[in-house]
Amino acid sequence: MKKILIVDDSVSMRQMVGFTLRQGGFEVVEAEHGQDALNKLATVTVDMMITDLNMPVMDGITLIQNARKLPSMKSKPILMLTTEGLASKKEQGKAAGATGWIVKPFDPDKLLQTVAKVLP
Amino acid sequence: MNPTGGALFQPTSCHSASDTSLLPEGDGADAGSPASAELARYLTQLRQMSEQLKQTSAQIEGAVLEVCLSFQGIAQQAKATVARGQSFLSQGGDSADASFDTVLRRCGDTLLKVLSVTEESGEVSRRAIERIRQMDAAASKITTALDQLDQISLGNRIMALNARIEAAHAGEKGAGFAVVATEVSAQAEKSREITSRVCDVVAELRQLAASTLDDLEKMLARDVARMRQCRQEVDRSLAELKAAHAAMTEVLSGMSEDGAQLAAEIGTAIRGMQFQDRVAQRIAHVVEDLETLQNRLSASSSGEEISTAGFDGFSVYTMVEERVVAGMGADESGAGDVELF
Repeated sequence: MKKILIVDDSVSMRQMVGFTLRQGGFEVVEAEHGQDALNKLATVTVDMMITDLNMPVMDGITLIQNARKLPSMKSKPILMLTTEGLASKKEQGKAAGATGWIVKPFDPDKLLQTVAKVLP
Repeated sequence: MNPTGGALFQPTSCHSASDTSLLPEGDGADAGSPASAELARYLTQLRQMSEQLKQTSAQIEGAVLEVCLSFQGIAQQAKATVARGQSFLSQGGDSADASFDTVLRRCGDTLLKVLSVTEESGEVSRRAIERIRQMDAAASKITTALDQLDQISLGNRIMALNARIEAAHAGEKGAGFAVVATEVSAQAEKSREITSRVCDVVAELRQLAASTLDDLEKMLARDVARMRQCRQEVDRSLAELKAAHAAMTEVLSGMSEDGAQLAAEIGTAIRGMQFQDRVAQRIAHVVEDLETLQNRLSASSSGEEISTAGFDGFSVYTMVEERVVAGMGADESGAGDVELF
């Protein structure tokens, strides 16, 4: 079973994304901000990561920049899942190493389709 | 929210953000002046408004989380119910070798075997009846033969009587012949007695055979009727089982469809519940602006110079809805958009 790390400071969003992914047959690991995610990545190997942008302690862009330095996450897909859709923000995400950008609110089917598309 | 953003600077009183009567004159506000007192009250109100918004946001998140968890429970139960039903239909329980179809087929096969064995018993009875009839016919022939023997015996006795009469006519010369005639008569009598006893035995046997035949014929007739009834009942039971199975399959199929529909509706609900995340962020942005405003007014009340450079009241607005409200344009992706780099 493929394992996906969800990073979001909103516990309800983590629940909703987690529920959708579990229904799709994935195992889910949760983190509440960027630093928490990096801590988890130090001990758990995941197949992909879905992260929010604006979070306390460490935001999504900084998280991606740091995650890409890890050998285990160098080539794994990372999706941004955020309420923000500004082109400038997307460019920042892309430059940091994001694989794709999804604007909230997400459609569960569409999210699963996107995950299936980017997961090797 | 006011599209102009002015609401942040316009408390319920008649003053606005540009209303200079609220701002300190000269180097700072007079701590005892009415303007300063009003400003202090507004600052308190701003802090309270920020706190109200934060608490509202937290309450919405708590409620949405509760609903979300409930939906997850409903979805999991629906999924488990459908899975159990499908497992029951396809596997007939824990054993993969005993699907409902297989059990039904085996049950039908067993019933048909029982019927077949019963039919074979009937066939055996029919053959027994036929053989008993053949034996009766043979016994009838024996009786006829015994009758013929009896007639021969009678002839012998008459012949012996005549011989004794002729021997008497011959006198002494016929004495020996009279002895032979008497012996022949005695033998003929013995033969008649034996024939008579055999006749009785054969008659008894034929009576027993007739009685057995009668019993067998009655039993066979009864068995045939029962077999017909059993076959009809078996056919009816199998048809009912098949109909019940088809109905169960249909119900479970409907449940699967309902489950899929439920999953789709939960998906829609999940999408709908994400309003909370957007609302939370919008509230956070408003709170952030309120706090900035609060800090600036606080600085103003203490006589510090206010710099408005770089602050337009919507500096943190990044979502399309709030940017539209703030008149900042909507040059960005809409909700649900997916872009792969």
